Amino acid sequence: MSVTNESVDTREPTIRVAALERGTVIDHLRKGTGLRVLRVLGLSHDGTIAIGLNLESKKLGAKDLIKIENRELSREEVNKIALLSPEATLSIIRDYRVVAKFEPELSDLLENLVRCPNPSCVSNQENIRSRFSVRQRRPLRIRCAYCERVANEEQIELL
Amino acid sequence: MNRIPLAQSFIGRDVVSMRDFTRDEILFILDEAERFEGESKPILSGKILANLFFEASTRTRLSFHAAMSRLGGTTLGFADAAISSVSKGESLSDTIRVVENYCDIIVIRHRLEGAARLAADATSLPVINGGDGSNQHPTQTLLDLYTIRSIHGRIEGLRVAFLGDLKYSRTVHSLIETLARFGCDIVLVSPPSLRLPSDMLDDMAQLGIRCREEFDPSVLPQDVDILYTTRIQKERFPDPLEYERVKSAYRIERSALEIYEKPVTIMHPLPRVNEISIDLDDYPGAAYFKQVKNGVTVRKALLSILLGACP
Repeated sequence: MSVTNESVDTREPTIRVAALERGTVIDHLRKGTGLRVLRVLGLSHDGTIAIGLNLESKKLGAKDLIKIENRELSREEVNKIALLSPEATLSIIRDYRVVAKFEPELSDLLENLVRCPNPSCVSNQENIRSRFSVRQRRPLRIRCAYCERVANEEQIELL
Repeated sequence: MNRIPLAQSFIGRDVVSMRDFTRDEILFILDEAERFEGESKPILSGKILANLFFEASTRTRLSFHAAMSRLGGTTLGFADAAISSVSKGESLSDTIRVVENYCDIIVIRHRLEGAARLAADATSLPVINGGDGSNQHPTQTLLDLYTIRSIHGRIEGLRVAFLGDLKYSRTVHSLIETLARFGCDIVLVSPPSLRLPSDMLDDMAQLGIRCREEFDPSVLPQDVDILYTTRIQKERFPDPLEYERVKSAYRIERSALEIYEKPVTIMHPLPRVNEISIDLDDYPGAAYFKQVKNGVTVRKALLSILLGACP
């Protein structure tokens, strides 16, 4: 499977993945993050999901792309993508047309999105929601509200 | 600094991390503590402190007990997780929700980092962190600051060297960040395996804090006002061989202090094992037993402030 067009108009003839009548297109995902994003989103609906890996991209050189049929992502889900691939763009499709397009934004407080990499942190031992404050966006550095350790992008594991 | 509004803002607050307090708030606690030197009026009569020590402690637990008793309050609690309901599988939040019905204020020590924050989230009573893993020990930091100020007359601009276990020591972690906020110069002397955690070093670099690292324990830094030594904590070493390698390397002998023109202040959170020779106990700069005494004073002040009982 390959997608060669940067456009989010899902009716473009050059797109070899089926055009979306309704759903979400996640474009400009960092190369290599597509499958992880899918796993993190944990989608369980009946629609088709198409994924393109290592596609050509003028913006990124190479990118991954996901098309989700009959499902519009929530803000919380979008935040998860921002952690993995902050450059991603999301387009909401209705009747083959882009009705909303936005970039995921990291909120200042990340609740129940990330597992603390510190094994001695109470959030990994008790049944509680993890909580992090964002100290720096690029490169990403977040501080656990419980153990107060700072984690960087490589250490982050999404819940 | 207006005392009354500050005092009121502290009533019912938690003391979980030094990061939760501004410089003015820290100075307010130290100023209040001065009023509690030798104080034994029963201003906490009828108040109950729950000392929840899920991890072993002598000084901190007894110090809180003494502080509460001196001011007429009473203490309940446990000194070992094995005798708490946690050993039966109860969650920490549930334990706190139960205990809050028996007391007015809670002190917690726990091996897990962030346990005190979780406890504070679980109750509306004030919670004091008595040490959470290798994260924070704010009352130790406050008594250290109190000791430093009582000896040097100030905190700002002092040069402080930390020796020994800088990786696992919560006392060091709490204190270094706070001293840095007071514009102190920091010297870190440790074996490479016990360096300050990299995220803390990064933070200090980002804040532009003057900090240098040294790795040879045989050369004490000469250009400092305070030597703060810590025990090499055997229980936090994953590798016993590594512990054996470094345990005796960081010992201060009296003869080594001849390099200082006037007595350097020597601090230690105790217990000491090999870090400070016994013949230093009558050295004019030895401050480690003053720290213990000041611990009761600062905790008396803190309990009174949080319970709204300041005279």
